[in-house]
Parts: sequence; C-alpha cells; structure tokens
Amino acid sequence: MSALKPQREIGWATWASVIIAALFVWSLMAIQFAPADMIQVPGQVARVLSFFYPADMAYGWDKVLPAIVESIQIAWVGTLVAAVLSLPLALFGASTLFPKLAHGVKFISATTRAFPEILLAIYFVPIVGLGPFAGALAIGISSVGMLTKLGAEVIESIDFGPIEAVEASGGSRIAALRYAVLPQVLPEIVAHWLFRFELNIRASAVLGVVGAGGVGGVLLNTLRYRHFDKAAAVLVLTIIVVLAIDMISGEIRRKIINS
Amino acid sequence: MNTAKGAIAFQQTNVVYPNGVVGMKDLNLNIEPGEFVVIVGSSGAGKSTLLRAINGLNRVTSGTVSVNGTPVPQKEGRELRELRKHVGMIFQDFRLVKRLSVMSNVLIGRLAHVAGWRTLLNLWPEHDRAIAMRALERVGITEKAWTKASQLSGGQQQRVGIARALAQEPAIILADEPVASLDPVTTHQIMRDLVTINQELGITTLVNLHFLDLAREYGKRIIGLKDGELVYDGSAKTVTESDFKDIYGREFTDDDLLNEDAKL
Amino acid sequence: MSAVLPKKPAKNWPLILGAGGFLLLMTIWSGTGIGFSLSELVCNIASGSRLLQESWPPDFGFLPRLVGPFMETVNIAIIGTVVGGMLSIPIAVLAARNLTTGKIVWFADRNFMNILRTLPDLFWAMLFATAVGFGPVAGALALSVFTVAVISKLWSESLESIDMGLPEAVRAVGGSWLEMIRYGAIPQALQTYVSYALYAFELNVRASMVLGLVGAGGIGMILESQRANFEYERVTMIILFVLVAVLIIEQFSSYIRNKLA
Repeated sequence: MSALKPQREIGWATWASVIIAALFVWSLMAIQFAPADMIQVPGQVARVLSFFYPADMAYGWDKVLPAIVESIQIAWVGTLVAAVLSLPLALFGASTLFPKLAHGVKFISATTRAFPEILLAIYFVPIVGLGPFAGALAIGISSVGMLTKLGAEVIESIDFGPIEAVEASGGSRIAALRYAVLPQVLPEIVAHWLFRFELNIRASAVLGVVGAGGVGGVLLNTLRYRHFDKAAAVLVLTIIVVLAIDMISGEIRRKIINS
Repeated sequence: MNTAKGAIAFQQTNVVYPNGVVGMKDLNLNIEPGEFVVIVGSSGAGKSTLLRAINGLNRVTSGTVSVNGTPVPQKEGRELRELRKHVGMIFQDFRLVKRLSVMSNVLIGRLAHVAGWRTLLNLWPEHDRAIAMRALERVGITEKAWTKASQLSGGQQQRVGIARALAQEPAIILADEPVASLDPVTTHQIMRDLVTINQELGITTLVNLHFLDLAREYGKRIIGLKDGELVYDGSAKTVTESDFKDIYGREFTDDDLLNEDAKL
Repeated sequence: MSAVLPKKPAKNWPLILGAGGFLLLMTIWSGTGIGFSLSELVCNIASGSRLLQESWPPDFGFLPRLVGPFMETVNIAIIGTVVGGMLSIPIAVLAARNLTTGKIVWFADRNFMNILRTLPDLFWAMLFATAVGFGPVAGALALSVFTVAVISKLWSESLESIDMGLPEAVRAVGGSWLEMIRYGAIPQALQTYVSYALYAFELNVRASMVLGLVGAGGIGMILESQRANFEYERVTMIILFVLVAVLIIEQFSSYIRNKLA
C-alpha cells in the first residue's frame, strides 16, 4: 500500500471490489434472494415491528427481569471461573517467562477460542442438566482462551528490570512473580476481566436458546407464540440493563488502568 | 550493622558469551572487605560482566569467582540465592516496580530474609519494616515512603534503588553505572551517598563508572578494564592521564568527562 | 531509630470493604442463583461420560450432508459483511466527532450505535426469523445489523484520529461535505476499514454457524435438529467440521489483514 505506487493500488482495489461484488451476487443467488424480496422485506420488518408497541411491561417486570438477572449471574460466575483458570495459564503462556511452555498454552487457548459458547452449552446441557449452571460452565470454558491470550500478552509486555532486581537480591522465582510481575500486570488483567464480563452478558443472553438459562429462552418463546408485546419487553429491558452494565464496567476499567 | 565480610576473589576467570564475545579474560583480582573500588573502561570492556559474575547473574566459563572464600554457585538455586542475599545491586535504570510504593520497593531487598509465605501475603515482620525504614532514612527520602515509585524523579528513584540494596544488610554492594541516567548535580549526590555508606557501614562497594573525573574524585582504588582484561589496578591518587589513555585505547574526549571543564 | 517515618496514608477502608463485599456477595448470589455446585458437577460426570461416549466417534457418514448447509452459512456471512459493511460507512462517519454534520446528528447516531451493540447476534436472528420467516434471508439480515454494530463503532474511532489537514484543505478549495469525506477523510482510514471488515467477516462466519439454532439458516439448522434428537455423534461431526472451517477462514482472513497492516 505504498503511496509511491498509486497505479498498483488502484489495480488492487478494483480487483478486490470485483471479487467481493461477484461473491456477493453469488451468495444472494445461492440463498434464493429474489429481487422482489427487496421490496417485500422492509415492509414485512416494519409490519412486525409495529406489533411490538406497546411493550407488555407487566410481563417484563414479572418474567423478563428475573431471566435477565439469571443471565447476569451466568456471566458473573462464568467470567469468575475463566479469570481464576486463566491467571496461571497466562503466566505459563508468556513466551518471555516460559519460552518452552508458552507455545503449547497458546495453542490450547487458540483452540478453545474458536468455539462459540453456545456450542459448548450444547454439550454441557445434557451433562449437568437444563439450566443456568450449564450456561455458566460454557461461558467460563469459552472465556478461558481469550483471557489467557490477552493476559499472556500483557505479561509479555512488562518491564523485565524489576524481575532481575528481585533475583539479584536473592528473591525466589515465586517472589519475583509476586513482587515484580503481578503489580505490573494486575490492573490491565483485571480490566480485561471486566471487558470479558461485558461480552459475556451478551453471550449468556443467548444461551437460553439451547436451554442453558437466561433471557434468550424467554425471547425465543415470546416470538414463537408471536407475543410481540412481551418480546418488546425483553428487548427494552435487555438494552437498558446491558447499556447500564457497559457504562459502569467501562468507568471502572478506566479508573483501574489510570490508577 | 552487618557482620559479614565482603571479600571477593577472581582466579583465572573467563567469561565467553554464547555469541562468542569475550566478556572477561584471565582475570585475577582480589578485593578486600570494606574496599571502595571504581571500575572504568569503555563500553563493552567488561565492566558489567565483572559485577554480574560476583552475584551470579552472569556465569563464568572457566576459573572461579569467590565471595568470602566460597565459589559463586554457577546454577540457579538455593545456594545462589543465599549468596545474593548478602550482595546488593544498584542498576543504571533503577529497576523499581513503578506501580508499588517506595516502601514496598525497599522491602524487596528483604525478600530473601523473610519466610516465603509471609512475603507472598505481604505480611512483613516489624523487624524487617524497621530495617527498610532505616535504609530509607540513610538515603534521606523517608518522607516519600508511601509515594508511588513512578512519581519520583530520577535521582530519587536511584536513592530508592540504593535503599533497596541497603535493606539487604549486604556485605557487598555492586553498582552498575548508577549515575549514567542522572544529571550532574544528582550524580554527585548519589556518589557521595555511596562513599558515605561504604565508610560508615564498611560494605565492600564496587562501582562501574564511565566518567573519568568521577572515578578519580570518588574512587579509592581504580580498576581499568579493556576487552575483558585487567589493564590497570591502582590508587585513584596516583592514576595519570596516560593510564586512562591506555585503558580506553584512545585519546579521550569531553564525552568521557562529567564536567567538561575538569582537568585530569 | 531517629527516623520520622511519615504516617502511612490511611487506606480507603470504606471503598476496599465495599468493593470486596460487593464482589463476595455478587459471587455468592450468582453462584446460588444458577445452582452452581461442584458436587453436582462430580456426580454428573458419570452421565457426562456416557454422553461423551455417545458423541464419539463422530459420524463421518454424515459429512457429505454438511457441505450444502455450510456453503449457505458462508453465503450468509458474505452478504451480512457486505451489506453491513456498506451501511456502517455513513453511520461511522456521522458518529465521528470531527466529521459529523451536527451535534444532534452525532448524538443520535452515537446512541443508535450503542443500542445496536447491546443486542447479541442471535437476538437479531430471532427477530428477523419472525419477521421474514425461517431461512437464510433472516440470517443475512441479522448479520448485516450485527456487522454494522461491530464496524461502525471501531471505525468511527479510527476516523476521529485522522489528520484533519487534508479534509480541511478539501473544504478550503470549495469542496462539499460529501467531497470532504470522500476525498479528505476516507482515504486516510481506508486501510483500517478493510481490516475491520475482515474482522467482522471472521465474527460473522463464527456467528452464522449458530444462527440456524433459531431458524435463521445455515449449518446451525442441521445442528439444531440433530441436537434435539440427541444424535450426539452427528453433533460432534458438525462441530468438528465447523471448527476446522472457522479456523481455516480465520487463518486466511488474518493473513490478508496482516498483509494490509
């Protein structure tokens, strides 16, 4: 993408656009999207949306709020499980501290990251039964990979001077981790935990689709029986709660990083 | 304050780095307890190698280094930690944990003296806290004890570095270019601190310096290194300009002096 | 021992106890709320191992039937990325403080963006499946919205950090607002746009695998039917297939992203 070769850049961009356009048209044809749908779809969406008003807030306070609370609980426990598991893994995954181990740890974390949590929930539901416990386990396991990776990156970026200072004063390896590594990395790592908690709220909200608890199952049922006013209550409350948690958590993250 | 004696002896010691660079060549050197020694030489002459061989941060390839007659262990472990417990080190870049308070940084010097479980839980005995406080007092920054290290100036950070070394109640202090990152005024303060500590506590002190005028002003004994070899060993009072030329292998310039107007 | 050590600053005990107490209570409340129990986990290992036995080995005979639905998944992801990618350009531009047309537009757009981001991908899929019927069209629409949520927020931040010299120069020679955006602003952030679009594509491929769980097309629809029938050796086959496909597509996408960076 050198500015010195404008000719070549135009060629590259044009080719990319042509290929993307071709893929796009092929995809539309493959899913049998007729041009007539172009006109119909917006109307359909608008018509269904019009049924959403007014939201059935009585149902919202009664049935939806407890389900959202359950989603938050799932996300909390899942994030906590992942945080506890990922802390030692992140240490061993830091190539600057443990060059031999790091490779294996990183590979495992990359593999677990590839699983959407809902696929894990599909396995946990039959093992521990329908309900939020299965959801929390799925969230926890699927978060370990990302938290390990981010934590290892934080640890790799630290200043190594203090570690040598601890070792030069006769401190053990563990003392070096406690006094030279941990104080440097903990704020960033905790901020990553909080960020993951924000993501996990959204993830846990959908787990109800496979019976793993939370608000997703409520939405699925209200839509299935076309109780649009009740579905609207789900959407409104979810948006408000998620926005509120994002704001609080984001504020705490900023405080932690700047302290 | 400490009863340990800080004698150091190199016997036919060689250090060759994995990349083939020779860091130390056939070094024979004896340092008596309580001496104040300044080591000079151009960069790459092996000054750091010499200091770091004494506390085992660098391994020797052949020959021996011994502290108080005991050879420096050549592998990580309990014995090497036991030796390092009594050898404080001061670094050019301070190497403080910036997010911790000054007090916590100084307590790092007590890590080897306190039971592991206590240090892990941050439960320091009163005795060790008192030692850390005395160390801070000696470098004159007690009022900064609860300040975060990151909020200190360079000179203050280096004082914390010295206090951390003192908190070990060491027999030996190794100072690796302790003033290279500091301004001239602070440089003199830090050098005076090191001399005072040496005189009052009798801690064997080795200081690597780049500046020749500093070496002559503060050193009692000067050791000159060139390409890993000992090329000068004598009193700071009798060292001459031509000795320095031999050590550096070239005419020296203003860059080799802290105070450019100084005359050697 | 003459040293006068300054008094250790008093710790903010209300904050420490408050935060610690909150964390503890939150954990206990959540743990009991979801019925977290290690004993249950241990007791259920037996039934779990039965399930794992049933789900292994994967049913490789099922593989040929996965190719068609998988292609549909990829198609959904492509449409979602392209449509969402295009829609997110104006949304991101208007949400960038330095480029937007007015304070009210900026404020409205910013909040619109944040609200889009609160709802997970599967919620959109459920909504569109209800509105336009089960099938891949619902999935493509859901991912379009999801893509807007991903790209517009990230890209508006990149747009806010561009050098304003060029856009102002375009304005100074009499260019319109659109010309300023087109020739002054977008070229500077084009590379990050492509990179975010590829990132969104990776997320979309992963998301499109599970859209079928709520009837929005793709390989997830087979997954849902096999799961409902407890055909776990087939579930395992589908998930392995999905895993490998996602990893390959991610490798390809991150290869291109690295080349651009």
